[in-house]
Amino acid sequence: MASTNSGGDDDGGLLSVTASLAKEASLYFQSRKFDECLDLLSQLLEKKPDDPKVLHNIAIAEYFRDGCADPKKLLESLNNVKRRSEELARASGEQAETVNNLGNKVILGAKGSGAGHQISSANSGSLVFMDEFDTSVAKLNIAVIWFHLHEYAKALSVLEPLYQNIAPIDESTALQICLLLLDVALACHDASRSADVLMYLEKVFGVGGVSQGDSGSMVQQQSTNLLTKYSSVPSSSSVADVSNSDLAASVNASENPLSRTLSEETLEDDTVLVLSSFEISGQNLARPVGLSSSNELSRTLVDKSISTVDLKLKLQLYKVRFLLLTRNLKQAKREVKHAMNIARGRDSSMALFLKSQLEYARGNHRKAIKLLLASSNRAEMGISSMFNNNLGCIYYQLGKYHTSSVFFSKALNNSASLRKDKPLKLFTFSQDKSLLITYNCGLQYLACGKPILAARCFQKASLVFYKRPLLWLRLAECCLMALEKGLIIAGRSPSDRSEVRVHVIGKGKWRHLVMDDGILKNGHVDSVGTDDCFFGSDGQPKLSLSFARQCLINALHLLNCLELNYPKFGLPSNSSLEENESMEVTSSKNSNLKNLTGLDSKILVGLGQVTSNGDAKEQKGGTSLETIQNSVSYCDDMCERENQMIKQALLANLAYVDLQLENPVKALAAARSLLELPDCSRIYIFLGHVYAAEALCLLNKPNEAAEHFSIYLSAGNNVDLPFSQEDCEQWRVEKTVDSEELIGGSMAAKNSSPEDSQDVLLLNPEEARGTLYANIAALFAMQGELERAHHFVMQALSLLPRSREATLTAIYIDLMLGKSQEAVAKLKQCSHVRFVPGGFHLSTSC
Amino acid sequence: MLSQEESGRVFALLKSDHRPVEEIVSDFTSKFPRHHHFAICYSLLLLLEDKKALNSTERLVAFAILHQAYSSQKSSANPFISLIINTSCDDEAEKYERAFILQLLSSGTSNINKEFLKQSAADYIKGFDASSHSFPQHEQLQQQYCDKVHPEPYNSSHINVSVKNVLPDPDVPHGCDANSPEFELQTGAKPKLGSGDRDEVVAGLLANLSLKGLGPQWIRPLPPRFPVLDRELEWLIPDNNHELVWDHGMCADTSRGAAVRDLIAKALKGPLLPAQYEQVVVELANDPKLVYHCGLTPRKLPELVENNPLIAVDVLTKLINSPEISEYYTVLVNMDMSLHSMEVVNRLTTAVELPKEFVRMYITNCISSCQNIKDKYMQNRLVRLVCVFLQSLIRNRIIDVKDLFIEVQAFCIEFSRIREAATLFRLLKTLGLE
Repeated sequence: MASTNSGGDDDGGLLSVTASLAKEASLYFQSRKFDECLDLLSQLLEKKPDDPKVLHNIAIAEYFRDGCADPKKLLESLNNVKRRSEELARASGEQAETVNNLGNKVILGAKGSGAGHQISSANSGSLVFMDEFDTSVAKLNIAVIWFHLHEYAKALSVLEPLYQNIAPIDESTALQICLLLLDVALACHDASRSADVLMYLEKVFGVGGVSQGDSGSMVQQQSTNLLTKYSSVPSSSSVADVSNSDLAASVNASENPLSRTLSEETLEDDTVLVLSSFEISGQNLARPVGLSSSNELSRTLVDKSISTVDLKLKLQLYKVRFLLLTRNLKQAKREVKHAMNIARGRDSSMALFLKSQLEYARGNHRKAIKLLLASSNRAEMGISSMFNNNLGCIYYQLGKYHTSSVFFSKALNNSASLRKDKPLKLFTFSQDKSLLITYNCGLQYLACGKPILAARCFQKASLVFYKRPLLWLRLAECCLMALEKGLIIAGRSPSDRSEVRVHVIGKGKWRHLVMDDGILKNGHVDSVGTDDCFFGSDGQPKLSLSFARQCLINALHLLNCLELNYPKFGLPSNSSLEENESMEVTSSKNSNLKNLTGLDSKILVGLGQVTSNGDAKEQKGGTSLETIQNSVSYCDDMCERENQMIKQALLANLAYVDLQLENPVKALAAARSLLELPDCSRIYIFLGHVYAAEALCLLNKPNEAAEHFSIYLSAGNNVDLPFSQEDCEQWRVEKTVDSEELIGGSMAAKNSSPEDSQDVLLLNPEEARGTLYANIAALFAMQGELERAHHFVMQALSLLPRSREATLTAIYIDLMLGKSQEAVAKLKQCSHVRFVPGGFHLSTSC
Repeated sequence: MLSQEESGRVFALLKSDHRPVEEIVSDFTSKFPRHHHFAICYSLLLLLEDKKALNSTERLVAFAILHQAYSSQKSSANPFISLIINTSCDDEAEKYERAFILQLLSSGTSNINKEFLKQSAADYIKGFDASSHSFPQHEQLQQQYCDKVHPEPYNSSHINVSVKNVLPDPDVPHGCDANSPEFELQTGAKPKLGSGDRDEVVAGLLANLSLKGLGPQWIRPLPPRFPVLDRELEWLIPDNNHELVWDHGMCADTSRGAAVRDLIAKALKGPLLPAQYEQVVVELANDPKLVYHCGLTPRKLPELVENNPLIAVDVLTKLINSPEISEYYTVLVNMDMSLHSMEVVNRLTTAVELPKEFVRMYITNCISSCQNIKDKYMQNRLVRLVCVFLQSLIRNRIIDVKDLFIEVQAFCIEFSRIREAATLFRLLKTLGLE
């Protein structure tokens, strides 16, 4: 087969020459002598012109020699290498027989669910190249770069095909592919993909004490084989080596004592929790230079003993992250304990961060803070930034927004100084989490009622989160808050929301009262709708109602895309908004629904087993697989629920915005879609009815509007509570609260609730009822049923004595009934009317 | 609503009772942009409706503006025509006012009858002679000037039902009549309680009257802010450091496994020698990835199974985690039944965990192969093989007999003449499944 190689190196002598050159070059690379390394590589290139692998290694070595300055350039070279390899492979014709699709493979189906989607598309069309054309390393490197640049979707698009056909790939590369894919999937909050990779790792690499019957021996053999290979990875790859050499140092103290004492351990009394740079590469550590082979050999020996545990710990930590992602907190608690056991005596900073996250998720905020304090090495900028950010999260959850803002801005400062580090390393990019912190900042500003600052944060964060519907909802909320606070001009002047303004014109017998109708002076309503430019000249978002509308539309679109991708719990399509959902889609949804019910029963059985097994056998392979599967399905359910909640909020906001934009037709469509949602919260049903009724009224269809109120009317003239206090609570606390340790958690939750509830939910059930009374009164008034209108408006005023709208409606009804004296009296009695002097001076005009 | 400055100018126009009406009207049309005319006229209309708000000369000017602003069109197109006509027929209105309006109406679009506009409003009232005017009936005027019903300017349904948002609220001592002249402002005199300046009111009203008036008000609740979801706040943890990887495949020995590839190719043609078999097994064991590069594909599997079943078992065992394995299973199920294929499956069942569906399908295929075979001798041979195979599977607990009980039982009865089938039948009995 080698004879078909275009290189024409049949000559054994030449082969050995290039092979030894290659070996030497790789040794130079490992010892970070990039100039020497590149020298050898250029010699190699002369012997094997255009060889993709030589070009590949040249690109990597040059990148390091140039101080990791230009990842984009490296990407370009790597892509060229990849293309070149593929061309050569095609040209050589040395392709494995493409897999023919034998019709009935479906019958066999997937063996484990872990193999689930591998089989379906597995290798149709993918070619198994011979070694020399193998591009997996180049692809892995491309994915690594994308990962560090936070371009997870791009990394995924490279990794996924590699993972689908991972078996033929060299084991150490395969492991790195899996680990990277796992990191990407976790970063994307993609539970099912993470589960898939996790299960594959457990199955194939057999780490985590899985033993599966007879195949075990084989797997074991394979995994030891892998581990020897893996152990060679650190010594063969340059920078990873640095971190690992540091690790080695913690065992083999003579290795690098200087860097140890320099590190920050002296600052922390807790020497057990010493932060070595296991996960956080020790950037300041200079790797001992030298090509001494005996040194190399001893290192590998040390490394081997470490990396078995090392890999085990790594996988255990991945598992914890996965369980946290899927909010399987109970299991996460067990696994994190296990991780701490494995990590005993070595670096445990990652484990501590995760443990803190666990307590945070469980609502044990004080404990979370303690763990953070124990784990952090605050002198290291990247860590310090994360540390501050996480503290910010905790204080936010405690309702202490001001404190949280202090920590978030500290975190941002840390990030900024991280970026100033020269030369930039690839790792620096991935360590820069400023955009994520900025999102947190946005939430905090929103909670503090600063919509413009919040919008700036969200806009910055949109660079990473633009695919998240929630981001766009938050931006829309910024607009609405700005509107509410009178920071943007709309049809209605802001200060009038709560009070009736009455202009007093003239004096004495000529005195007149003019009721402000809320139309802003000079506030041309048309200027609101036609504003097409969403960003100011400075690139900052210009908050406006039409911008809010665009954000909401974006979010709905993204949400619908999500539903199409995971059509598990197919929603009935909202005819008015999603016309493009074809019949096919709905039918496929139905079939998926069927599948799911089957799956559910299986999961239930699995759950039963878990509980009957108890804690004793938590590490058993089967149970662990089931745990992972259960977590995924639980997580899917949860995401589905959250997306449903988001959708309700989006449609309600859209209806509101459309009403504000004086677009009753669209408002009506949005409100109707909201009312059609399955399992809609009663709060949003209420809003849907209120918005729909107003829209219908504006469209001059009062009778249809009345229908929307009919469900709330009992005994003719009484209005029921549209929703209960429990509905509000339920809506707010759709959280997974760990029942075990509610004591600490609920305390914290209670502390924070008053502040929370006020800014999250403006309406209480009684106010909602008052709103209904007022709007029904307005409707009757429009229809000319003044007596009934009068009855309802009086009810409304008793519930909402401060409502501007209800007061004005009451006065309107009096005027229509010819009772102008009573109207005047009502105005004067009303406590929240502001009488403004006419403020007009004749002198200027006469 | 008018701006301060606009309302001031309108007020000034109303007050100029000594300028010729014509001049005032042309001032109005030239000074105010056309699209503001309606709003201004509407304010004037509201003032005119309140009969006491404007004095006599102001009223004349206001009517002139109301009419003349739309004089280029037919009078029926004037949005204020109904007020104009109603006032001209109002018996309570002053005669000069009614006459003035009638003259306005009859002037129409032409310029002939516009002489009367050349005098000021004050002069018109001064020189007015009631006897020279006739006052036609409402219906007649209606017919004459409103040939068709003009719809109200449509904005939304609110405007149809809205009322004027102005309420008179005379501030006079309790029990006094607000209309009595005692509260008129006396020039020079100290203003007494309850007196007020009418001009101030007119100007103020002009500045504050709104087009829409007051209608029933809807409460539009602001949607609640979405609660912060559990995972929404970004919790940060240290990253795993993924580093760039050196490609060790560079200039590597590509002849790796060439020997094995050759041997596998040979193995497809005929049985290998024991030494060759050894070599394949050892090399495959040494390099776990070699199996993917040994040149075997699902399509070639049947040949390998027939010629070298042991190598097939070895290779399939190593491919167990490959995504391709299902392809291999499919081929294995569909190939012709033979001693070797059964041997391979039997050995596989003990070496790895096979998918249940696969084993089941394989057995079903075995049974149907037995039934379909024509050659009696070959059939007997195959049935005996299948029986032994099944016994082995059952004894090793590879299959759950419950799944296949009826099928296997029927098979045993069909071939009960064969000793092995009878044995298998007894085995089934002892399992006590009946």
